Amino acid sequence: MDQLTKYYFNWEILRDTFPLLIRALGIVLELLVLGLIFSFIFGLILSLMRLSRFRPIRWIAGAYVDFFRGLPLLLLLTFIYYGLGLVGSRSGLRFLILDPIPAAVLGLTLCYAAYSSEIFRAGIQSIHHGQMEAARSLGMTYGQSMRYVVLPQAIKIVVPPLTNELIAMIKDTSLASVITTPELLFRAREKMGVVANPTPLTAAAIVYVVFTIPLIRLAARLETRQGRRRSPVDVSADIAGQLPKGAGPV
Amino acid sequence: MITLIDVHKSFGALQVLRGIDLHVTKSEVVVVIGPSGSGKSTMLRCMNALEPIQKGKILIEGIDITDPKTNVNKVRQKIGMVFQSFNLFPHKSALENVMLAPMKVQGKSRQEAEAVARDLLAKVGLDEKAGGYPDQLSGGQQQRVAIARALAMQPDMMLFDEVTSALDPELVAEVLNVMKDLALGGMTMVVVTHEMGFAREVGSRLIFMDGGVIVEEGDPRQMIANPREDRTQKFLGMVL
Repeated sequence: MDQLTKYYFNWEILRDTFPLLIRALGIVLELLVLGLIFSFIFGLILSLMRLSRFRPIRWIAGAYVDFFRGLPLLLLLTFIYYGLGLVGSRSGLRFLILDPIPAAVLGLTLCYAAYSSEIFRAGIQSIHHGQMEAARSLGMTYGQSMRYVVLPQAIKIVVPPLTNELIAMIKDTSLASVITTPELLFRAREKMGVVANPTPLTAAAIVYVVFTIPLIRLAARLETRQGRRRSPVDVSADIAGQLPKGAGPV
Repeated sequence: MITLIDVHKSFGALQVLRGIDLHVTKSEVVVVIGPSGSGKSTMLRCMNALEPIQKGKILIEGIDITDPKTNVNKVRQKIGMVFQSFNLFPHKSALENVMLAPMKVQGKSRQEAEAVARDLLAKVGLDEKAGGYPDQLSGGQQQRVAIARALAMQPDMMLFDEVTSALDPELVAEVLNVMKDLALGGMTMVVVTHEMGFAREVGSRLIFMDGGVIVEEGDPRQMIANPREDRTQKFLGMVL
């Protein structure tokens, strides 16, 4: 018991580590906010491409999504930072050399755009095609129908799964430590080396969990609320579901 | 106003329309009946290019909508459509449902669109429900909002696709009454329905479809009383 406390819950080390980690939290937030914004925008574009009428566009988006869903983020980050950096310094193509933070944001964006595009696509497809038809029959273009009718409804549906993506992304920002981004885990490991004690890792774990648990609870609440809201309301969709699916271009 | 020339339509191997010729003139109320699977709804959906056709021509006010160069968005503004499943936008109030297309497609200001929308909602007897959301309205009310929404684009013609089939029986009349008022106001209408009373009372022409073709057409009262074709007779025997 003493050993456990000494190595994992060493109070003095914990006390020294927390201020360090709180400062590193700023970097985590930076990665998170930028990664979220870019990956959701890019993910939405990808999802619309996957629903395009034109096969080559669907194919390109599909191949992208499959590739980045299959690729470990750690490998991608390593490639962007060390791989491109190496080529950049050898060939003189300076723009290939990225600082740790931009490299991490790029890696998070590329991967999470692929994940979130699947969520957006499912959300858009869950909106009954009668909505699109009604909008088109009023003379709206495909783009207008998407923007004013389909997407506002789809967004509501995708909020809970996107919250789960957010939670996953918070945890995945720690991968950026391998490319020397001075974020939470990086600082904790640094401190662990200095004090020769793993307690800073405990401190980091506490910060991550304090950060993520409220979001986990929130996501669960959103999910149940949505489940409740959707069941009694949409009688018209039930009726329409019995109709033959008109697969025509609307 | 609407002209179909030898229209063929198939879903994969399934032929749904096998050569439809039809001409609807201004202020006519054409009522289309037929067993399910006869192609009547598909024909209606082809009229505003919701379904592409494989052969033939469809002219709306002289414009060939099957021509790929035609801007169907423009043509659809002239054609109001009402669906069996209402398809109101659930995230918008009744009023906003009616205002959306005039604002986004015709570029009307919010005030202008709202004035038109309130007028139309009053016309379908729903001025008090303007702020209500679709899930707070009964089926009959939703369908009347859908009619108002279509009318807000000031269409020259209206297509009704079994608009009372999803309604509880006691709500059918309120929707049919709105449609009757429209017909009396001179609106050109194509109505796919099972409501024989409406056909008899309001229809200026009755069309019976079966197996993707028009089997018989004529004056609604005469046709209902004395169908010429066996198939029409059989079908009427079942629905009357």
